[in-house]
Amino acid sequence: MTAIPTAPAEAALTSPRPAARPHRLATWATLAGRRVMLSAHTPREVLAPLVTPLLFALVIAPALAKMIPHAGPGGADYSTFVIVGTVGLLIPLTCTFAGIGVIVDRASGARRELLAAPISRSLIVLGNMAVAITVSLLQVAALIAAGWLRGSHFHATPAGAGWFIGAVLTFTVFMYAVAEILANRIPTQEEYVGLTPVVAILPWFLAGSLFPITALPGWLASVARVLPTTHTLALLRYGVLNRGGAGLHDIWGISNTTADAALSLLVLAGWAVLITAASIRVFQRSAVS
Amino acid sequence: MSARLRAVSNDTRPAVEVRGLRKTYPGGLEAVRGIDFQVAPGEVFGLLGPNGAGKSTTIGMLTTTIKPTSGSARLAGFDVARDPVAARSVSSVVFQEPVLDKALTGRRNLDLHARLWGIPPSAADRKITELAAAFGLSEVIGRPVDSLSGGQRRRLEIARALVSEPRVLFLDEPTVGLDTRIRYELLDLISGLRGRTGMTTVLTTHYLDEAERLCDRIAVMHQGTIVALDRPGTLLAGLGAELVELRVEQDPAAALAAMRAHGLAAGDAFAVGSTLTVPVGSRPARDTIAAIADLGIHAEAVTTRKPTLDDVYLQLTGSRLAA
Repeated sequence: MTAIPTAPAEAALTSPRPAARPHRLATWATLAGRRVMLSAHTPREVLAPLVTPLLFALVIAPALAKMIPHAGPGGADYSTFVIVGTVGLLIPLTCTFAGIGVIVDRASGARRELLAAPISRSLIVLGNMAVAITVSLLQVAALIAAGWLRGSHFHATPAGAGWFIGAVLTFTVFMYAVAEILANRIPTQEEYVGLTPVVAILPWFLAGSLFPITALPGWLASVARVLPTTHTLALLRYGVLNRGGAGLHDIWGISNTTADAALSLLVLAGWAVLITAASIRVFQRSAVS
Repeated sequence: MSARLRAVSNDTRPAVEVRGLRKTYPGGLEAVRGIDFQVAPGEVFGLLGPNGAGKSTTIGMLTTTIKPTSGSARLAGFDVARDPVAARSVSSVVFQEPVLDKALTGRRNLDLHARLWGIPPSAADRKITELAAAFGLSEVIGRPVDSLSGGQRRRLEIARALVSEPRVLFLDEPTVGLDTRIRYELLDLISGLRGRTGMTTVLTTHYLDEAERLCDRIAVMHQGTIVALDRPGTLLAGLGAELVELRVEQDPAAALAAMRAHGLAAGDAFAVGSTLTVPVGSRPARDTIAAIADLGIHAEAVTTRKPTLDDVYLQLTGSRLAA
């Protein structure tokens, strides 16, 4: 005859039963979905991000090309050269503005609910990042499509498209991580917005967006060579412009353009990994006192 | 009762177990100075104390947003420092400040909570509908939160915390800043929670009527320590059946010292501002009043009354502040 225990087994006391926990991927999708719902719940919020790329592709780049009618560096027409360079402005602006959501979450208290959830807190950063990547891809696609419709000449091979997409994704990850760090370190939205020109616009001017970095004074060209934006623009042009490796050559100065591209992508990936890790750490430190 | 909660009711381990919990912030501020308490499954436990007593820091440590300097805390057996995700999985928090996503609808807010806590969609839908009905939110659950009234938002916050059927619910000053009508509505709602679900509730408040009405036991916190912990009735009994209260405009501290010197007041008498509160013990209150008059203490007003939790609280915290 089996004895019926009258007290809970020791194992039951020492091994508490955890409640159900969501899968990491499902959590990440939920957090990204929340950010989409918060930042795109009116048609205006959906359409507004497309205004800047369309303006650059349809108006500004062609207008600049009229002022500078000869071919751009590397043989592309100047309008196409500028359109590709505009990616280096769109992504930082999108990511910087996405960082405002982090400040709003903190100020409104909504972040506290997320911090109380049984999830890895790094997913909160990565969920927001996913939305910044999606919006950036949408903007870049709109920019390139509008430029093509306006008559720009892109010359993309599958490998070139790979370099282009790789650069866009890696640069977006890097820029969003920068925005996340700033949003967690800067106390007010006003102060944060004040930094946008320095973070998003200034590097763009120096990174070969409108002219090759070799046109800069020597010391400034050296500064430009270490900027992630410079590596990104050089990779983008290498990917979709005919003979577009000039920017890479300006950075590395070696004759093998594929090696130049690999090095630039490696630099970008290094920055992206390093700054993303730092952004998660900064978020966790700001969340837990 | 759901399977999830049936499992809870069979669990004999304390729902909340705090041992030597301490928090010293950078700069040296000792917000919590080594506290110990346990909360049984199904119990409603109150953390009571003035601003700065350490209540919110304690809740912060239990909900894993503040890292303890030393000591330990467990929620349903999960150590909040070693296994914070598991500890969060068995708890929910209603914060002092509203934390809803205002641009989203009430239903969307509840649904997000359910997803983050891993509740299957069909069960979440059912639970949200049930909670909306129980909290009188069915008509407005589909509206954006920023179109709801203050009371509706607060009820929505509590409903949201319940979607995941937490084993431990933290209510951090849930009624602070609300108008009286909404406050009483919420008190009804919170007091009904225990009967409905059987979960453990940890409530912080500085409203004594709230604590007396809702809590099985109360820990009074003062300057980072627990200065009393018991059932409200037991805490009240410590002050005896009757109190004499005097308003002494000139030098109340000297008056209290004189009463103590003549055996009219014991260590449990206390002064807050110009008001002296004197438990009379077994002595008739009228005898104490007459003896005070004989001492030549000039009181602007003298009353007798039964002790309240306010007196316990003031005796434990106010007199020390005055000292």
